[in-house]
Amino acid sequence: MQTRFPNKTLPYLLLAPSVIIVFIFFVIPSIQSLYLSFYRVSPLGNKKIFIGLQNFIRLFHDPGYLNSIVTSFKFAIFVVALGLAVSMGVAVVANQRLRGFGAYRTLLIWPYALSPAIAGLIWAQMMDPNIGLTSHLLKTLFGVHFNYQTNGQQALFFISVAAAWKMLGYNIIFFLAGLQSLPVELLEAAAIDGAGAWRRFWKITFPMLSPTTFFLFIMNTLYAFFQVFGLVHITTEGGPGRATDIMVYKLYRDGFEGMNTGYASAQSIILLIMVATLTILQFRYAGSRVHYQ
Amino acid sequence: MNHRRIFILLAIVLAMAFVLSACAQPPATETPKQEAPAEATAAPAEEKPAEPAASEEPVTITFWNAMSGSRGEVVKDLVDTFNEKYPKYKVEAEYTGSYAETLTKALAAYKAGEAPTIVQVYEVGTRTMLDSDAIIPVYTMNKGEVDWNEVVEPIRKYYSVDGNLYCMPFNSSTAMLYYNKDMFEKAGLDPEKPPTTWAEVEEYSKKIMDAGVAEGGFSMGWPAWIFEQMYAWHNQLYANNDNGRSGLATELYVNSDFGKMVLGEWQRMAKEGVLVYGGRKYKANDPFLAQQFPFLFQSTSSLGGILKKADFNVGTAFLPRFDGDYEKGNSVVGGGCLWVMDTATPAQQEAAWEFLKYTFSPERAVIWHKGTGYFPTSNTAYEMLKEEGWFEKEPNFATAFNQILSGNDTPASRGVLLGPFVQIRDVMGTAIEEAVVNGQDVGKTLDNAAAESNQLLADYAQLHGK
Repeated sequence: MQTRFPNKTLPYLLLAPSVIIVFIFFVIPSIQSLYLSFYRVSPLGNKKIFIGLQNFIRLFHDPGYLNSIVTSFKFAIFVVALGLAVSMGVAVVANQRLRGFGAYRTLLIWPYALSPAIAGLIWAQMMDPNIGLTSHLLKTLFGVHFNYQTNGQQALFFISVAAAWKMLGYNIIFFLAGLQSLPVELLEAAAIDGAGAWRRFWKITFPMLSPTTFFLFIMNTLYAFFQVFGLVHITTEGGPGRATDIMVYKLYRDGFEGMNTGYASAQSIILLIMVATLTILQFRYAGSRVHYQ
Repeated sequence: MNHRRIFILLAIVLAMAFVLSACAQPPATETPKQEAPAEATAAPAEEKPAEPAASEEPVTITFWNAMSGSRGEVVKDLVDTFNEKYPKYKVEAEYTGSYAETLTKALAAYKAGEAPTIVQVYEVGTRTMLDSDAIIPVYTMNKGEVDWNEVVEPIRKYYSVDGNLYCMPFNSSTAMLYYNKDMFEKAGLDPEKPPTTWAEVEEYSKKIMDAGVAEGGFSMGWPAWIFEQMYAWHNQLYANNDNGRSGLATELYVNSDFGKMVLGEWQRMAKEGVLVYGGRKYKANDPFLAQQFPFLFQSTSSLGGILKKADFNVGTAFLPRFDGDYEKGNSVVGGGCLWVMDTATPAQQEAAWEFLKYTFSPERAVIWHKGTGYFPTSNTAYEMLKEEGWFEKEPNFATAFNQILSGNDTPASRGVLLGPFVQIRDVMGTAIEEAVVNGQDVGKTLDNAAAESNQLLADYAQLHGK
């Protein structure tokens, strides 16, 4: 089933743009990061001292960095769990054949179209301890003093919910697509055999959705680790204290605010290794249990 | 199997993209250096063409700044007026984000050979600029046209090394105490008698809280900066080597007895509900404006905004002092300064110098002060404002100025210069939050913060030490 190109150079030419982009934006910078991670670099980059593995050794003695690892994991677990559970629930409900659900489904996707900065601003406004409507309601209705600017646990909870919300639209589309490709006969047969809605969901829908769930699990994990910078930057800026100082944010602060390029490069290398390991582990473990059609 | 391969590949590529795009740095190649600044400034005199013809292109220079909102409008007016007045030159002002972003962008642009001619850098970046080997000190550009004694002394001294001024002071501010006069009246206090000591701040706070007028006592913006202010205000060195002015600082004194006393007091008052922690930067302004507490420690640069937004009478006062045998120092100047990058051509340097002189002219300094609330940077401008009766009409604008003129000039009161200042201030901000918000042990917290900062200082000294 291979397509044959009459010309030997044409396929390479067609591949060239992507290869060039990958090289310029991914491969070369990663090599530079690796190189810089062995140096201590001045803010202007005009002075460099080779220090071997010192950046890495110091990272693992830096309470700030160790904290950011723990925070990242807490954050990622929460975002992925909450995001997948809610979106699967919504998708199952939205998959019913009812009048007007087409429009409803479209609306569900909206949050994904927002830029992280806008999403961050909306949440920051809503939950603002002084002028936010939601925080005001929490206070008057439930007596909860919600202040993500001074309470670390609330801050982490706050950005986790905001981050999960941001991904909902994306997750729902995939779940809906997955649900719609499920063979209807199976569900009908189960219904005829007397299985209730709950049982049908756990015994049929959930296992058959596993490829989608697994794909989304990876995408959400990657999102929680690496794509939430904008949201954090707009809302908590890693604070209060170091409560929401996730790894990407710590990297940004050390590299771009503190201008400690070598140290930040070492962090980026660690992140890279982590992601690669995480992904491979996920496939090793979860991959075998996923049912591919 | 095929699916899995594709998934793995996709995931890894995406992962790499995220990680690397976050940390992409251009190669640290050696940027060609200009000639020594002193010679460069002398050069244009000979090279200058006879007389620029009217049709000749103006010399264009770029001015990167961090002034947004109403401040940005004043900058625009400044630049427009200059361009109109000096058709030979053309200044292109560009808003480049926050102070931190502006500094980072300017340094990155320098590496890429596209540096701005003039860049506005906040006080935290002073040491970075001094050690960058990338700037032309303004004192070398001055050929006797500007009398440096015209610059208000504490401001001049902050940006000077060995008595030489390195950048043109532009927007200078300091910290002061804001208070709610209405609450004073409601609690039976004299609104014209603000507290002068921390003990009084606490006493008045408690009176106001007991009277049910407010929920808390005070809050502060830029907590780590207020902590620095307390050191200088009580004449305590923040770091060794004369606060990093006679040599690179290698040791921070934040865990001295004084530092532990200050943070200990703050922690105690936080436990009693007097200190309401309000977050960093300007976050505490909103609850102050919402009348949740009567006192706010904040930069003078917030004055305009607070006066505009407050629906109560705002009073301002000097920073309070701690009881005890501490000498009087001064409050430290913060804010921005204009630096000239050494990539400027001789013609551009000439234009830059003309522009800097213009920003410093008393007329412009008066407009700048009135429009933004920042200090008038020149003594003549201050005199002009006084003659005009400005300070009688707007006494709050005089408070901070009187405060910095009331202090003593000592190494401790000139303010600290640290290489990795951005990071150290962040370390201190975190330490204060740990003690005040999370109630952790003050001594241990400060010892850890000092150790972490000293490590940063050592790294910096290794790179930049002579």
